[in-house]
Amino acid sequence: MVVAPRRWFHAPWEFKESMLFTAIFVIAGFGIEYAVGGEGIPQPHLPYNAIFLGVFGVLILSVGLAFRNNSVVKWLGGIPLGLFLICAIATLSLIGGIVPQEDAIPGSLSALLRINHIFSSWPFALTILLFLVNLGIGLSWRLLPFNRQNFQFILFHAGFWIALSCGIFGSPDLQRLVVPIEVGKANNLGYTMDSELPKPLPFSIFLQNFSLEEYPPQLLLYDPHSDKLLVEHSQTIIQVRKGVKASWKGVEVLVLDYMPHALPGKNGAPQPADRITGIPFAKVRIISTNAIPREAWISTGSPILKPYAADLGGLFLIMMQGSPKSFRSAISVQDENGDQKKANLEVNHPVDFKGWKLYQMGYDEKAGRWSQLSLVEVIHDPWLPAVYLGLFMIMAGNTLFFWNGIKSSEVA
Amino acid sequence: MVFDFKTAAILAIACWVTGSLLDLFARKIPVLKLLASILFFGGSAVIVAFIANYWIVLDRPPLRTLGETRLWYAALIPLVGLLVEYRWKIRWLKYYCMVLSGFFLGINYFNPEVFDKTLMPALQSPWFVPHVVVYLVGYVLLAASSVTALHNISLQLRSLKNDNGESIAHYLALLGFVLLTFGLIFGALWAKEAWGHYWTWDPKETWAFLSWLAYLAYLHAFRYKIDRGKLQWYLALSFIVLLVCWFGVNYLPSAQNSVHTYTKT
Repeated sequence: MVVAPRRWFHAPWEFKESMLFTAIFVIAGFGIEYAVGGEGIPQPHLPYNAIFLGVFGVLILSVGLAFRNNSVVKWLGGIPLGLFLICAIATLSLIGGIVPQEDAIPGSLSALLRINHIFSSWPFALTILLFLVNLGIGLSWRLLPFNRQNFQFILFHAGFWIALSCGIFGSPDLQRLVVPIEVGKANNLGYTMDSELPKPLPFSIFLQNFSLEEYPPQLLLYDPHSDKLLVEHSQTIIQVRKGVKASWKGVEVLVLDYMPHALPGKNGAPQPADRITGIPFAKVRIISTNAIPREAWISTGSPILKPYAADLGGLFLIMMQGSPKSFRSAISVQDENGDQKKANLEVNHPVDFKGWKLYQMGYDEKAGRWSQLSLVEVIHDPWLPAVYLGLFMIMAGNTLFFWNGIKSSEVA
Repeated sequence: MVFDFKTAAILAIACWVTGSLLDLFARKIPVLKLLASILFFGGSAVIVAFIANYWIVLDRPPLRTLGETRLWYAALIPLVGLLVEYRWKIRWLKYYCMVLSGFFLGINYFNPEVFDKTLMPALQSPWFVPHVVVYLVGYVLLAASSVTALHNISLQLRSLKNDNGESIAHYLALLGFVLLTFGLIFGALWAKEAWGHYWTWDPKETWAFLSWLAYLAYLHAFRYKIDRGKLQWYLALSFIVLLVCWFGVNYLPSAQNSVHTYTKT
């Protein structure tokens, strides 16, 4: 018996219609984007985005519940449309995952279609909007009447709806500013990545002190002809300390002495110095196949002291400053009312102040541990609690999903 | 490398090869079965011991570079194969798993990485280990799922009987998806603490999202009762997206400014 294929738009709608409508949304999105010259979507701020999202959410739930037996609504909240929308989001993300998301030549096709900023483009926004409709309607059927068996479904899907919608609708309210501060000074002006004009902040940050700790310096062999650093025999980054040995083809080096903080002395030998002014020095014995063994002092140098290298007849044994291990700023923040907070800012240890989060971002890398400048990033994201609520709901739903998956796999 | 990775790798592979040979004869001589199992675990145990030692000497978790993560895969993948054998009485998966592990060890054997103890400040976080380990285990399960799907396809093509191969591919994908979700969210929560925002469409994030979507679509297609035979192709191919996410991203034009390329100095 031959089953006649279902004709277009005959209920129940399924994959064909889903593919068509998803394609229409994506193509329409690119069309609108082209028409507005690659300007991207309008980005309403609070309270307008919150009002829009609220109305949108209520509307979806009402339509889902009021017309749950309507065949078009059934399709709108069904898996076939969901699958094609996931494919569309994946395809648009794929573009964003391959094409560098940075400014393109104005007037180029990439800029006009906003492929270079795909995640704030019309096609992405329309697809996400339809996806939220699909997810929301599907969710509404499981919400009412409530059944305990749907709990995991609700947690995962509602969590995803909340995190996705709040993350995207809330993004215009995200403020990220970089505040450069010099030691002993205060600053209340922040800079965004795309503007040179500073923005005033509702608080000022005073930098008491900046400190940076480095890993031990590295011993390297430099070939000036190829401008390359040669890899040590055992493929190891050699950290300098007393007694360390290193070998390259035809060259063997032994560190006889190491002074982490020293300054050049009168007769060439370095003298111990304090932590602030001193730089690392190492005394090395070099055994090379084409020269007699000898000893030399090498050092990393600093912004004001030139480095010491050992010439090995065309190759140079050098000591390079270790990479930063940690850096921190001792700050005090004060707002217009005089409320004050003292804190140590460090990477991975941000500090909260009146709805803002302060991050240790960077420093003057040329000056290294002598940097007198600290870059502090300040971030205000009023939508964060909502997004986190969504993420934690997903994780809770996920845990149940894992548990149920293990349980039902016993049947297999 | 400072320690003898090569000995560990050869020892582990030798364990797996001898174990497999013994396992082939175990049907006739049951005593060999136990010996084979000990050797299978022994192979992973060697790598685990190497990782533990490496962790101590590096003075940081060996999870920073791709080569370091390959060590973890090499140790964990055979364990999933053994778990599947124990749980669902499927014998063949472990062989694929051991070949895959041998392949990972082979990459590290022939392309030794530079031994580097440093760990940039952003990675010095309590989130580092859970984020990467959850992902590692997730990838391992999804690799096993993909391998199972490939095996199912080969059985389909030869019109051979396949009792519960499709269920196993499904459950491995389901568990893998759960771990991908955790990995993604742990990454977001960590990113908020370290880089200031939970999501920035960094290329690695975009690809992690893509791989998550690929398995999200799979689970919904499965639920919609799409032909399970066809879905085996989908599962087998989905792993390619994961592979791009795992080590292909670094080579994409979009990744020049990614926060996830730690090998640059």
